[in-house]
Amino acid sequence: MEDKLSKEEVLHVADLARIEVSEEEIETYQIKLKELLNEVEKIESINDNDSDYMIAPWSNNASYREDIEEEMLNPKEALKNVPRKSGNYIEVPVVINE
Amino acid sequence: MTNYIETIGIEVHVELKTKTKIFSPSKNGYGMMANSLTNVIDLGYPGTLPTINHEVINTAIKAAHVLNCKIRKEMHFDRKNYFYPDNPKNYQITQSRTPIGYDGYVEIEVNGVSKKIEIEEIHIEEDTCKSAHRGTVSLLDFNRAGVPLIEIVSKACIESSEEAKLYLEKLKELLFYADISDCKMEEGSMRCDANVSLRKNLNDPLGTKCEIKNIGSISNVGIAIEKEKERQAKLLDNNETFKEQTRRFDDKLNDTVLMRVKETGNDYRYFPEPDIPYIVLTDSQIEEAIKTLPMMPKERKKLYEEKGVSELNIKKIIANRSLSDYLNTYLDTNLNFQTATNLLLGDISFYLNKEEKEITNTHLTKEKMLELVEKIDNNTLSSKNVKEIISDILESNKSIQEIMKEKNITNITDTSLLKDIVTKIIKENPESVNDYKTGKDRAIKYLMGQIMKETKGSANPKIVNEILIYELNNN
Amino acid sequence: MSRYLDLDIVEINKLLKEGKITPTDLVEESFLRIEENKDLNAFITLNKEQALEEAKKLENEEIDTITFGIPIAIKDNIITKDLRTTAASHMLDNFIPIYDADVIKKIKDNKMIIIGKANMDEFAMGSSNQTSYFKPVANPWNKALVPGGSSGGSAAAVSSRVVPFALGSDTGGSIRQPSSFCGIVGLKPTYGRVSRYGLIAFASSLDQIGPMTRNVYENAVLLNIICGKSKNDLTSCETNEDFTRLIGKDIKGMKIAIPKFYVNDAIDDEIKDKLNSIIKLLEENGAEISYVDIKYIDKAVTLYQIIAMGEASSNLARFDGIRYGYSYENPENINDLYLKTRRYGFGPEVKRRIMIGSYLLSGENATTYYNKALAIRDDMRNSFLDVFKEYDLIIGPTATTKAYPLGKDLDDAVKAFMDDVLTIPVNMAGLPGLNLPIGFSTDHLPIGMQIIGSSFEEAKIYQLASFIEKKLNLDLNPNHNGGREND
Repeated sequence: MEDKLSKEEVLHVADLARIEVSEEEIETYQIKLKELLNEVEKIESINDNDSDYMIAPWSNNASYREDIEEEMLNPKEALKNVPRKSGNYIEVPVVINE
Repeated sequence: MTNYIETIGIEVHVELKTKTKIFSPSKNGYGMMANSLTNVIDLGYPGTLPTINHEVINTAIKAAHVLNCKIRKEMHFDRKNYFYPDNPKNYQITQSRTPIGYDGYVEIEVNGVSKKIEIEEIHIEEDTCKSAHRGTVSLLDFNRAGVPLIEIVSKACIESSEEAKLYLEKLKELLFYADISDCKMEEGSMRCDANVSLRKNLNDPLGTKCEIKNIGSISNVGIAIEKEKERQAKLLDNNETFKEQTRRFDDKLNDTVLMRVKETGNDYRYFPEPDIPYIVLTDSQIEEAIKTLPMMPKERKKLYEEKGVSELNIKKIIANRSLSDYLNTYLDTNLNFQTATNLLLGDISFYLNKEEKEITNTHLTKEKMLELVEKIDNNTLSSKNVKEIISDILESNKSIQEIMKEKNITNITDTSLLKDIVTKIIKENPESVNDYKTGKDRAIKYLMGQIMKETKGSANPKIVNEILIYELNNN
Repeated sequence: MSRYLDLDIVEINKLLKEGKITPTDLVEESFLRIEENKDLNAFITLNKEQALEEAKKLENEEIDTITFGIPIAIKDNIITKDLRTTAASHMLDNFIPIYDADVIKKIKDNKMIIIGKANMDEFAMGSSNQTSYFKPVANPWNKALVPGGSSGGSAAAVSSRVVPFALGSDTGGSIRQPSSFCGIVGLKPTYGRVSRYGLIAFASSLDQIGPMTRNVYENAVLLNIICGKSKNDLTSCETNEDFTRLIGKDIKGMKIAIPKFYVNDAIDDEIKDKLNSIIKLLEENGAEISYVDIKYIDKAVTLYQIIAMGEASSNLARFDGIRYGYSYENPENINDLYLKTRRYGFGPEVKRRIMIGSYLLSGENATTYYNKALAIRDDMRNSFLDVFKEYDLIIGPTATTKAYPLGKDLDDAVKAFMDDVLTIPVNMAGLPGLNLPIGFSTDHLPIGMQIIGSSFEEAKIYQLASFIEKKLNLDLNPNHNGGREND
């Protein structure tokens, strides 16, 4: 088995994470992610007793919120931290292929 | 062109009619000022967490029930991870592993034969924000972000565009009737995606499927499927292989256009949502939710049949829920439902459409309606009379008697009185009687005219006609 | 200069009530001390003007809480309205929140005064406070050493007596390990004890906010205030108890377990020795100590890499340059905006963890590894709970080492997680765990022990911790010529 991931695999992960990576970083990740995978593979052989699994250590079931409207932000507040805006809208470079 | 068998699966997104959003207490509204219906949760602010709107769960239970699904009692949510500007957290909270409803069906009638369209699952999820494109930029409005949705996924068991349309119409009727959604496709509160694939024989494996996204009306779903069939058939005829695609329907071109070719399948990295503990439904909660369902079309149909309403009227009245709801307020009266539906679907609908009014906003009281139908049934009012006075009945507080008086409608329905007049006219017009006996139909019209003249138009034409023919034939 | 902030909060409260000092005196002293300890770099943002204003306002109010006027430091991943909150990242270095975290509301309601936002590892990802975009924090006991992390700024601020109280957050040890390195008391509460609403999420199923203080009593007091069910956090739970109630109670007959994994070879001898002396002390005072096995505890770090990194990759997806925070200036298109914003907005450790998480959730990995990890996690928690059927508490060391030099091991991924090998299992199981200082190394650095309770058994942890604290009577003020034991 290869001791590192292919460049394509790393680029796929970087694309999923939407992080631009340099050639140098790609090489590092090819090795580091593979090392990690080797480590993680060890749990595959563990035979856990039951099929239950824990999503989080919750100690209660979900409670409900009643369907009652609460105070909202006015558009000015909603847009306070927005880097690019246009009127009451948040602006982004055009999204094609919608 | 070779004959191909089409296989169609349909996914429908429906916005639920709740007051607030699914995971936040912001208003669930449409057509408001941009970014005026948001809070920090809807905007995906760091540190915010979801809460669960009780009404969303209740509404989804109702949806699962009316679509004949099994209801899952213990469920959780999952995160679907993908970057898109309309997706504030860049993950969508949805149900992938434990959808609330599964294994359901909707019954449709194809050419008189009933068919079950099977439903794979119904799951709850949040809507994305809305984006509008302006040249080099897109503008985002987060009012819709977090509006509750259910997604209804059919099995790939739909066999024609006609079936697809019937299925969607039925779905819309059911969801609308159950108060689950307003199902306005033009406002996006109901959205359809269709998956289409072709194969030559039923034994063949399913062909490569293409998905057509966000089709804006039911009739366009039909067109989109037909166009997609044509496109794929041409490719198959030419022995061309093609990849799975996502396409969209273009209203202007009246055709589907390519959005993207699917690569190895989307990598959504689903995992269970840790911020929302298990939701456990109790039997009583499920019963309570179902109890609040309004009467569904199937039940209405049965009732109307028992009341002797014609099949055509039943179909039409059920298609108009507010009229059907109105009619149902008479279930414990002796109202003639056939006459009532004629009236509701005819003159009353004409008036309501013209005035853009709801029947509940008129002056048609229960007493008035009962009297009106009775007067039609016993011929006190002719259909012509009804047309003349319907707007007065609906618009004013006056009684029907008062309105008839004002309009000078004194329908003579006393048959003995009418018989005397008929006899008198027959005696005065022996030529016409002769004409009638030699088979000249217009003689009847003439005699009728004479009688109406004599009664100054107040005789009930239907009754006069019956008496006249009887007298002519028996004397 | 006055030294009111060296007094315990009961004494401070008494002076306030007697009118001998005012909240303003406390706030001013706090800022003077920050100035004195500038080289610790414990704070990212100071709240001076607002804090002095708050103090002034309090002067006309009735002194109705024990925490009245007490200065507090807030870890910078806890959202504070109108006060810059950065999570120690370039991604948020301009971010002014428009709401308060649930815990911040409680802090304000109880009349504490927020002095500033404490430095930390970027997005709480690190164990030595060296991944901060705002430079590392130094250890008050030796400024060439790390304070631990990720709540390094909070730990350094409390340890150096700049503030009596701080809030930290703990995902894999981020409260307990820096508390151990800096010689303070730090508690990671039971999962659900404290609302996470307003905590910038790292790993949602592991994160908890917790109190960091100079002593056990004050820790319990601060937990009393920040705990409880919130309508904003579905995973939070109702609390109806006083966490100080068992403090001072005898420990005779208490049954205490030590996981065998907690005495392994990777642990410094000096730490083992200190722990052994504690075991002896406890036995002498009537506690029963036994060694136990906990299933898969040795796999906890691997499970953590899968679960915590997976959740983190999703939680940090929202930082995209669209709605808040750093945004790359001239993107060619929408994808370029994402790619470059996240490339330049995040530091290397954060990107590394997002990459790991994305990788382990992608394609088939989610079913092969992620689901498997969740199943093993369930077994591990059950194994912990089985121990608590027989034992009152579990003890062990908090960290495998004492504080180490700045600049060390920054690039070694596996080693970095090894810092947390003894704390991670507690987060995985959702249990409460506390660091208690139990002495000093030969080079005068604090050494800590960890006390782990069953679900919602914090009061019992405080009972044991306060017992040991009283017996040891350590001087934990690094300004007092550092690290001496009083016995």
